[in-house]
Amino acid sequence: MSERLGITEDDRAIADAVARFAQNELAPQAHIVDRDEIRTTRYASQLAELGVMGMNLPERWGGIGASPAALILSIAEIAKACGSTASMIGAHYLATDSILIGGDDMIRDRYLPDAASGAKLGAFALTEPGAGSNPAGMITRAEREGEHYRLRGVKQFISNADDAGFIVVYAKTDPNAGTRGISAFVVDRHTPGITVSAPEKLMGIRGAPAHEVTFDCLVPVANRLGEEGAGFYTAMKVLDNSRLDVAATSLGLSEAALAAAVAWAKERKVGGEPLANKQGIQWMLADMKLRLEAAWLITLQAAAKRGAGEKFSDYSAMAKLCASEAAGFITDTALQVHGGYGFTRELPLERLVRDARILRIYEGASEIQRTVIARAMVA
Amino acid sequence: MKVMVAVKRVVDFNVKVRCKADGSGVELANVKMAMNPFDEIAVEEAVRLKEAGIASEVVAVSLGAKPCEETLRTALAMGADRAILVESDSELQPLAVAKLLMAVVEREAPQLVLLGKQAIDDDANQTGQMLAALLGWPQGTFASRVELSEGQLKVTREIDGGLETLALALPAIVTADLRLNEPRYVKLPSIMAAKKKPLAVITPQDLGVDVAPRLKQLKVAEPAPRRAGGQVGSVAELVSKLKNEAKVF
Repeated sequence: MSERLGITEDDRAIADAVARFAQNELAPQAHIVDRDEIRTTRYASQLAELGVMGMNLPERWGGIGASPAALILSIAEIAKACGSTASMIGAHYLATDSILIGGDDMIRDRYLPDAASGAKLGAFALTEPGAGSNPAGMITRAEREGEHYRLRGVKQFISNADDAGFIVVYAKTDPNAGTRGISAFVVDRHTPGITVSAPEKLMGIRGAPAHEVTFDCLVPVANRLGEEGAGFYTAMKVLDNSRLDVAATSLGLSEAALAAAVAWAKERKVGGEPLANKQGIQWMLADMKLRLEAAWLITLQAAAKRGAGEKFSDYSAMAKLCASEAAGFITDTALQVHGGYGFTRELPLERLVRDARILRIYEGASEIQRTVIARAMVA
Repeated sequence: MKVMVAVKRVVDFNVKVRCKADGSGVELANVKMAMNPFDEIAVEEAVRLKEAGIASEVVAVSLGAKPCEETLRTALAMGADRAILVESDSELQPLAVAKLLMAVVEREAPQLVLLGKQAIDDDANQTGQMLAALLGWPQGTFASRVELSEGQLKVTREIDGGLETLALALPAIVTADLRLNEPRYVKLPSIMAAKKKPLAVITPQDLGVDVAPRLKQLKVAEPAPRRAGGQVGSVAELVSKLKNEAKVF
């Protein structure tokens, strides 16, 4: 089969192995996961056994030594089968990437192998009720008390929080220093003084529940990631990676929607001939395919830059923006091709539309991505 | 005990197969390829024998063009120890494959050769039987269970009337049926590790085998499209149509 630019045989072999698991185990359950809000954290141990939960990590800490392109393809395969599961994995990567990027070898050794093996699930706590697109506006405080920090504050929309083994929390160690006053900490989930609220009622990715989490607890100094004040820099680097994961999730959902639309158009007859014979429908399919392939290319370009060790913040933002906006268009248009049936819950189209909607919001809304892209040019 | 497994690269079972416009064969351009599912079951069985301490080494063998290496890498990722590709760009019919496998068996001296019962592309279901005949070894085809006890291989096979159990003396040939096992999900680290396992490439000439086809394929055609059905208004009409149009009685 002909491959997209830059994908190697190894990347394909890995993606095929992930696809097989995803299609056999995740896809048949996806509508039930959505309908009954079943937590996809239940798949974490199987995914860890396969090698997915540590795929973002170097081999030393339980990773598999896969390329960024293989990671993109694999997440896309998972999203193609179940958007909630892809989102759950993305939240786990946010936490482990934080430790990998912000921490030293001691704390990496303490947390990352368990995270890769599935023994401990990660959660990532940056957003607050009053600080979403402006993380610098956070008010959660970490105050030094001897060999500990006293962590106080409220974090919002924290995926995996209830089932996590550890939560990476960003907090102000110096409230007067702006972004340079933010530090990152790894907090064990069952530390006394952590309250995880009931999950939010979500429009989509209903198998990846998000919680409000309240902290009033002690965290050992050894659990700080890097120096005091380095947290914001860490978070930005982590988001460079995670935006590629969101782009990959967007591509997976788009692939699923487009495949459904093409199959429907060929099968469904209107006035005695298949929908696919209508030019109006053909143009819809063509536009969907065009935007999907464009999103693939910019995402793989960003992944290649990441693999080469180049700065890729702008490319990551472009990939996320391009792919998530494409996913919105493609899932919506695929539903349109299905007509009234697309609007029913018997078919997956309405779920794909709902699952895709968050992709333009989390890990930096589309508007923030434009800011990141523009800054790389004018700053 | 050394175990050899034969694996074939075929069109992926998910692909909707199409014929070439000129009827000369099946369209393979831009088509996803994968290991023959029955061969995957054979590899899984071999790997389980190794994990149970019964097999000492599992050698995977494939025959065909260069991309068969990918199929062998899959077998290595599943747990085979090393692989051999008999590389040939010619068409290899079951008899040629059986002769090549016999030559590899003579080199490798396995105690057991596992194969899929048939490949999902040509559905020939001949290679295992031909190999057994050429070697003069006992064969257990369509195996749904394989056990080794007191130096004998007990093979349970699915036959029309139920299950039949054969006792085979080693060395032997076994072909895998669908219910022999459920192949594992290949773990991603195993895929990376498989790249470092040995894969030897030899040619039919090295083995001294003439692989010229003995059969000529005349034409490949799509099955005739099914005619649309119709609704009947009453039992009487149904009976009349069965009698006069379908002529079933």
